[in-house]
Amino acid sequence: MSLYSKRARALVFGGALAASCVVMASAYAQAPGPTPAKIAVENRRAEFTLIGNFFRWFGAVARGNAPYDEAEAKKRAERIAYLSGLLDESFPDVSNVGEPDSKAKAEIWKEKAEFDKKLAKFKEDAHVFAEAISKEKGATEAFKTAVANLGQDCKGCHDSYKAK
Amino acid sequence: MTVIDRPPATEAAAAQSKEKRLVWDLPVRLFHWSLVVSFIGAYVTNRLGVAWFDWHVRFGYAVLTLVVFRVLWGVFGTKHARFASFLRHPREAAAYGWRLLRGEAPLYAGHNPLGALMVVALLLGLLAQATMGLFSNDEIFNVGPFAGAVSKETSLLLTSLHKRGFYVLAAAVFIHVAAVIAYVIVKRENLVRAMVTGHKRAEGVHPRDEIMTSRLALAATLLLVVAIALVALTSIAPVASAGGDAF
Repeated sequence: MSLYSKRARALVFGGALAASCVVMASAYAQAPGPTPAKIAVENRRAEFTLIGNFFRWFGAVARGNAPYDEAEAKKRAERIAYLSGLLDESFPDVSNVGEPDSKAKAEIWKEKAEFDKKLAKFKEDAHVFAEAISKEKGATEAFKTAVANLGQDCKGCHDSYKAK
Repeated sequence: MTVIDRPPATEAAAAQSKEKRLVWDLPVRLFHWSLVVSFIGAYVTNRLGVAWFDWHVRFGYAVLTLVVFRVLWGVFGTKHARFASFLRHPREAAAYGWRLLRGEAPLYAGHNPLGALMVVALLLGLLAQATMGLFSNDEIFNVGPFAGAVSKETSLLLTSLHKRGFYVLAAAVFIHVAAVIAYVIVKRENLVRAMVTGHKRAEGVHPRDEIMTSRLALAATLLLVVAIALVALTSIAPVASAGGDAF
């Protein structure tokens, strides 16, 4: 059959039409979204980033590098307390192994009960922190102690459960 | 330097064995023990928690100052402090190692060739560790003075290396201490006492190799220069001192 005969042209055109139908159909098909594991990792990284960004100011005030501000302190402490309550949902079993963006060590799931206790303690301490901060009207000793205590919660957990 | 192959076994030598010769100057000895305190202090203050972090930073700056001083002292210091006097070709270190195992190792007035390797390893390791600390970020509220000079990603990478680097250094220190203890007990060379008093037994030190002065004025000057340079360097840092960024 010659390449330019009517039959050849019909076959080529028909084939191209079929192929483009398949391509367009697959483009409209639902692309799979991120897995629950990826979402959990993204969420917890976002939660910890926010907690850190809101908490850091307290460290600066405690050191005398930033001026104390009552409204700022209240706002930030409340946000940290709220965010701390979101964390326990962000460590599902499925996000244990193999997530490249995760800095969570496998120990978290090996010692889940212990880890959950630490998360609960952090949540409780964050609420205690918000209360303590609202009582202080400046970078007092009690203020500095409260900041150091909550900061130690961060570091204590990181030392055991965050990849170095 | 004159290497003494085998300590003379005569009566005269036995009588002479009480005699000591000065080989380690005061700056080297103060440097060594200050470094021990600073290294242990840096580790302990980190483990103690966030309330002690300021001390961790101070010990880190101390390590940096001491190591840079020692490098300068290795160029301008007294005889056995100088790198030129104890750095050997690895072949010589290996040969010394074999003789050590056979129990026929010679005595060195300063560092022996294997010890020399450890000196270099520890100086480089501590320099790297302290320098990485300058770029570190604990993601809570402590940030090194030069963390702002690199991207967040780089800073976190250096922080990670700094945290893991401790274990490499600890291994090296362990080997160092074990080796020194072996020398004291097995080889009967009291290296610890030598690094405290500066003196070694005369039978291991040729009279020509004894040092006559610690050159303290020069040492003090060098130390001051290094300290000032470090202060100047951290003051031009992009991020204000390890007080953390505020917002």
